[in-house]
Amino acid sequence: MSRTPRPMLDPRGPRFGAGLTGVLLLVVVFLALTGASAAALALLAVITALFAWGALAGAGRHPYGVLFKKFVRPRLAPPTELEDAAPPTFAQGVGLAVTLVGLVLGLVGVPGAVGIAAAAAFAAAFLNAVFDYCLGCQIYLLLLRFGVLNRGGRTVENV
Amino acid sequence: MNSLEAIGLLFALLAATTVLGLVWRARQGRVASVSGVTITPADVASPTAFGPAATLLQFSTELCARCPGTRRLLAAVAEQRPGVVHVDVDLTHRADLANRYAVLQTPTTLILDGSGRVRARVGGAPNRVDINATLDAVTQNSNIRTPTETPGASYV
Repeated sequence: MSRTPRPMLDPRGPRFGAGLTGVLLLVVVFLALTGASAAALALLAVITALFAWGALAGAGRHPYGVLFKKFVRPRLAPPTELEDAAPPTFAQGVGLAVTLVGLVLGLVGVPGAVGIAAAAAFAAAFLNAVFDYCLGCQIYLLLLRFGVLNRGGRTVENV
Repeated sequence: MNSLEAIGLLFALLAATTVLGLVWRARQGRVASVSGVTITPADVASPTAFGPAATLLQFSTELCARCPGTRRLLAAVAEQRPGVVHVDVDLTHRADLANRYAVLQTPTTLILDGSGRVRARVGGAPNRVDINATLDAVTQNSNIRTPTETPGASYV
């Protein structure tokens, strides 16, 4: 199998970013619960945009990644190993899907949608930051098994 | 809802997610003894032959944060034990294998004995001590086993 060299990341970078995202999502849940729907919607829109950035530009070029490299990583010991950027980038896409659904339903006026989407995205971000759980990896496997990805068993590169 | 009630709910969300994470972490790498089917290298399209003593059959995908680390760990374990072979199967283009072996998370590692029969199943990133202990048990048993019993039929 041909393996193209992909960007490698310090695995603590995406977890640091997930921590920041988690805190912001918790604020969205709080705003939604206390009835500040406009503020909740606006902050969720910002988070959605950040997820889109990570999903499209790659986890390595996310603004939080820049923060991590500038301010956090110099204070840490060197990483014991580097990690492929593909899983955290896919995870950004999963986050984008969840927050985008919440955002659209919120704009349409479905009650509770913003809070519920933010809570779901918070759970994933928190598990990623604290426990190093990779929801994207899990969802990727399930999509494979349900035949959503790579239908017909052929790789994209071979098409 | 007032702020105090909202903060209470936030703590409930935090607590529930923490419990979820602790449960997940406790289950990571747990070795489950199974008496399963017999797998041949051809079943998983493996170019390498399985080990005469035992095989660590790892299932990965391209999008799996913990698979490369698991690959290194299992390769190192196999390296140190004569007759033990590590095989890493990429499910990215073989979803049929994921379904056939009911792989629900990656990495998942099946530990096969010398005859290719599945003896244990490890979900998630394994730890070296448990893998070695399982290999001790598996290779010991297959040494005692009578030769007439070894060539198990493939049920897959």
